[in-house]
Amino acid sequence: MKKALALILALVMCLSLSAVAFADGETGSVYYLNFKPEADEAWQALAAAYTEETGVPVTVVTAASNTYEETLMSEISKSNPPTLFQVNGPVGLANWKDYCLDLADADITGELTSQDFALSEDGAVYGIGYVIESYGIIVNKTLLEQAGYTIDDIQSFDDLKKVAEDITARKDELGFAAFSSAGMDASSDWRFKTHLANLPIYFEYQDKGISSTDAIEGTYLDNYKNIFDLYINNSTCDPAELSGKTGDDSRNEFLAGEAVFFQNGSWEYTNLTADGAFTDDDLAMIPIYIGVGDEANQGLCTGCENYWCVNAEADEADIQATLDFLYWLVTSETGTSALANDMGFVIPFKGAVESPNVFVKQDSEMTAAGKTPVSWNFTTMPSEQWKNDLGSALTAYAAGTGDWDAVVSAFVDGWATEYQLANG
Amino acid sequence: MEKARKSRDRVISCILAVLSVAWIYPVFMILANSFKQERSITTGGAFQLPTAETFAGFDNFREALTSQGFLTAFWYSLVITVMSVVLILVCCSMCAWFITRVKAWYSKALYFLFVLSMVVPFQMVMFTLSSTADRLKLSNPYTICIIYLGFGAGLAVFMFCGFVKSIPIEVEEASMIDGCNPIQTFFHVVLPILKPTLISVGILETMWLWNDYLLPYLVLDRTKGYMTIPILIQYFRGSYGKVSMGPMMASIMLNLIPIIIVYIFCQKHIIKGVAAGAVKG
Amino acid sequence: MEKTIKKFWPVFVIPTFAAFCIGFIWPFLQGLYLSFCRFTTINKATWTGVQNYLFTFTDSSFLHAFWFTALFTIVSTVCINLAAFAIALALTRNIKGTNIFRSVFFMPNLIGGIVLGYIWNILLNCVLTLLGKPLLSLHAPYGFIGLVILMCWQQIGYMMIIYIAGIQSIPTDYLEAARIDGASERQILWKIKIPNVMPSITICLFLSLTNGFKLFDQNLALTGGDPSHSTEMLALNIYNTFYARSGPQWKGYGQAKAVLFCILVIVISLVQLRATRSKEVQQ
Repeated sequence: MKKALALILALVMCLSLSAVAFADGETGSVYYLNFKPEADEAWQALAAAYTEETGVPVTVVTAASNTYEETLMSEISKSNPPTLFQVNGPVGLANWKDYCLDLADADITGELTSQDFALSEDGAVYGIGYVIESYGIIVNKTLLEQAGYTIDDIQSFDDLKKVAEDITARKDELGFAAFSSAGMDASSDWRFKTHLANLPIYFEYQDKGISSTDAIEGTYLDNYKNIFDLYINNSTCDPAELSGKTGDDSRNEFLAGEAVFFQNGSWEYTNLTADGAFTDDDLAMIPIYIGVGDEANQGLCTGCENYWCVNAEADEADIQATLDFLYWLVTSETGTSALANDMGFVIPFKGAVESPNVFVKQDSEMTAAGKTPVSWNFTTMPSEQWKNDLGSALTAYAAGTGDWDAVVSAFVDGWATEYQLANG
Repeated sequence: MEKARKSRDRVISCILAVLSVAWIYPVFMILANSFKQERSITTGGAFQLPTAETFAGFDNFREALTSQGFLTAFWYSLVITVMSVVLILVCCSMCAWFITRVKAWYSKALYFLFVLSMVVPFQMVMFTLSSTADRLKLSNPYTICIIYLGFGAGLAVFMFCGFVKSIPIEVEEASMIDGCNPIQTFFHVVLPILKPTLISVGILETMWLWNDYLLPYLVLDRTKGYMTIPILIQYFRGSYGKVSMGPMMASIMLNLIPIIIVYIFCQKHIIKGVAAGAVKG
Repeated sequence: MEKTIKKFWPVFVIPTFAAFCIGFIWPFLQGLYLSFCRFTTINKATWTGVQNYLFTFTDSSFLHAFWFTALFTIVSTVCINLAAFAIALALTRNIKGTNIFRSVFFMPNLIGGIVLGYIWNILLNCVLTLLGKPLLSLHAPYGFIGLVILMCWQQIGYMMIIYIAGIQSIPTDYLEAARIDGASERQILWKIKIPNVMPSITICLFLSLTNGFKLFDQNLALTGGDPSHSTEMLALNIYNTFYARSGPQWKGYGQAKAVLFCILVIVISLVQLRATRSKEVQQ
């Protein structure tokens, strides 16, 4: 009896310990660590569809927002690591390059509409861009008409300024403001410290004919100041109150018809049209004019910062399975329509299905009309720290507790120091 | 004198009443907001009650229950907590009895190690523990209890040792003389005496396990969709800074409801258990 | 009898000990070893000696986190214990509703750190917005105050229970004798109650000190270290070094930080234990 009990206890321990998976078969499997929580459901469905079609198991795990790097770091050192993950542009790639398989000869690379969407370094392709997004100023056309304008009236920074200031002057009479509040917390400050800051960087790169730099000059920082001033002085609330607003507040103001303009991107389409809040006819996206370059031909800011990478350290069979899965995603009807319709992605592949997203349609119309899209250069920003410092300086400036010089210093001097730290 | 004391008591009662309202208010605020429509939950408006216009009924709760797999997470949380607590109580009380009753160098060494493990912060072992768990396939909700037994043993053994010391050894000797072997003695004689301690250790461990975040976050095998409630709550944030406030509030509420129900029914035990545990600890 | 028990050691010790090895001893030793290495996974570690430790001492974010944590721990320990003791005194006067008050004050302890963090994040941000002040995650002093408030809300109830148990265990003869001798309420408090609950005080101090130092969940959910890591406490700093930074050198740094953190907590506990012992001898 006593020995038996001892044995049973010991056995239970051993059994649970030795329940080592014998099940790992020869056929490979795919494990995708997804970046976008809002697309999680669609990915799960797509994975199930693929498994049903081919019998290859596909697992999709989604990292909670702002924890992608942590989750990837913890998952990749496990015995069953992700075979497919994503990086954010060249700066993100630098951290994960050791894990990235060279995709130069992969089938999926041949499906890209342009090699610009491949993330390559020294002739090797490490990442494949999988979603093109655009951002600009989202306009509530109905409100704009109430104020006596149409979007054709806004063709340059001066026009924008005139309209915005006119709306502000008549704010009480109209019952709405020009811009939704520029929330400066982490859920919203990237709109200014990253996306808006892209414009002065873009124009400086254009002037010099470069695509990255170790030291930014800040030639167009005055224009950056002008547009930011315009945002904060013509907003739904006093500039000093901006630091008390979040991204959700900003969106809710726009949804409630309290503001005409809302700087954000094509990804907001589903949020804005959900529950019939807006129809396609109510919305438009216009370029962010900052008064530089050929404004008549400026397009939306369009680019890609999410790149798929294949884990080079996964099993051979898993790698093959992953490559097959990727090819299927961008060529099969199920794959492309799920990406376009369920996730709302515009994919840079030949087999892409047209997206129902009104902002995306506008982007292609503008490009077709000969306007030049502004490329995404914020992927070359030296580090997260740089963005955060710029964000803090902007917040202080908006609240009136800091001056613009601090922003300039965070922008220019910060760039040099952070670049040194990251690459030195 | 008596009168002065009475009026002072009344003042104290009032202060305490105000304080307890303040203590409950945060929970109440979440409850109020969980009935609001998504769009009406603003940063500055969290204190407003839902009005006829902003009232969303049970939509948020429906969303919270269906969208992110709340029920599965709840089930896993429950499985992990119950299995680990039972395992910890049985194994650690046995171990503690042995350590206290057998006076040898190794029982002293063990005791020292257990006490040490009590103060070591989790960050010290987070990486190595999660990779060990991964390699030994302890990364699912049904086997993670072994990890918890290992990592939570310190506190439990320490507390049990304190109580076992106060049990008169004569009772055990009598039972042994009657022909019981140590196992029978332990289960028939020692364990019943330890019952109050089992309850307090059990309560302390349950409070820890049910709410633990980092250990399951790092250890559980995500590819199988294993999740606990504290992990789940993070999933209401989107990649472009969008937070689904309504469902998030509702899921916080759903997390609080079972806790509050258990608390209402067992508060005597819980409070006694905490007090007893602390006095011995 | 001892001999008979000894024979049964496999039944009594092995289950716990085996799990203890897996769950603590082995990871602990491995962690100690890895703190001297450069590694990304355990199998790919190269020995680098004390380099990680040298870096740690020059890492300003770690030093900042240390001072932030120390300050937080001191402030929250003082606030929690003063408030908890005051409430415990009030609740041992046999006033009406004592049980309800006690239950209410203890309730937040049952709520987990992550959930608590979110609740207070929403509440405090609302207060700050109404006052026209920047949000928690934009202004470090508010983040600090927010953390203290949160900790107080959570921990006061727990400490209160311990103090109540301490006060109730004072023999009533003492108090009655003092009252008959004409001692004032204040004298009773300082001369009888406080010296007699000294063991409870040391336990509470110990608990709130270690809780403060090891705080992680609440920190993560309330401020997440924003703005730019200035409200990051030690545990979160280690976690971020380990998982949020990619690059082979960071894990070694993180592990070295963890070892230092571990030593720090052990030292604090030892000092505290000493203090407890000496107090107990006096009585």
